[in-house]
Amino acid sequence: MAAKIQWRTEMDDALCLGQKAGKPILLDFFNPG
Amino acid sequence: MDAVTYPESKVVSFIEENFIPLRLGFDSKPYSDTFNVKWTPTIITLSPEAQEHHRTVGFLGPEELIPSLLLGLGKYAFENDRFAEALARFEQLGAGYGISDSAPEAVFLSGVCRYKQSHDPKPLKEAYEKLSVAFPDSEWTKRAYPYCLL
Repeated sequence: MAAKIQWRTEMDDALCLGQKAGKPILLDFFNPG
Repeated sequence: MDAVTYPESKVVSFIEENFIPLRLGFDSKPYSDTFNVKWTPTIITLSPEAQEHHRTVGFLGPEELIPSLLLGLGKYAFENDRFAEALARFEQLGAGYGISDSAPEAVFLSGVCRYKQSHDPKPLKEAYEKLSVAFPDSEWTKRAYPYCLL
């Protein structure tokens, strides 16, 4: 099975993970349809 | 993006290696207001302190998304005064995606990074010369024009 992007869905969760990992956030505002 | 770009394996690995990926609906309050989102996709490089460093609006294929994200990583470092790290990102962009739409801005900012590191204006002039040859019609070549007078 092909790998997929493991998108986070909560801003606070992503910022916390970014601080821990020392990584920026890739924030994608999308149209869920 | 979901049909073409995000399933691409090199896109998946690049994003997972370099970012915490976060997806929000375009009407997700309060963030759609905070970031003034008016169209999708709006793709933002955000620091872990929630500061915006780079933004694109509209579809990008894999061959443009990765260099755009490299530009975002470089600008994230640049705007935090980590010029060596920024320069490495811009050079990575130039080496792998030198004819992408993000390349001219990376050349421009490479010159600025080198100037910031050395306080020697020569890299600014070199950036203009490189831009004028490789990207004569780019807005970044026009923005760098004054450096040819240095």
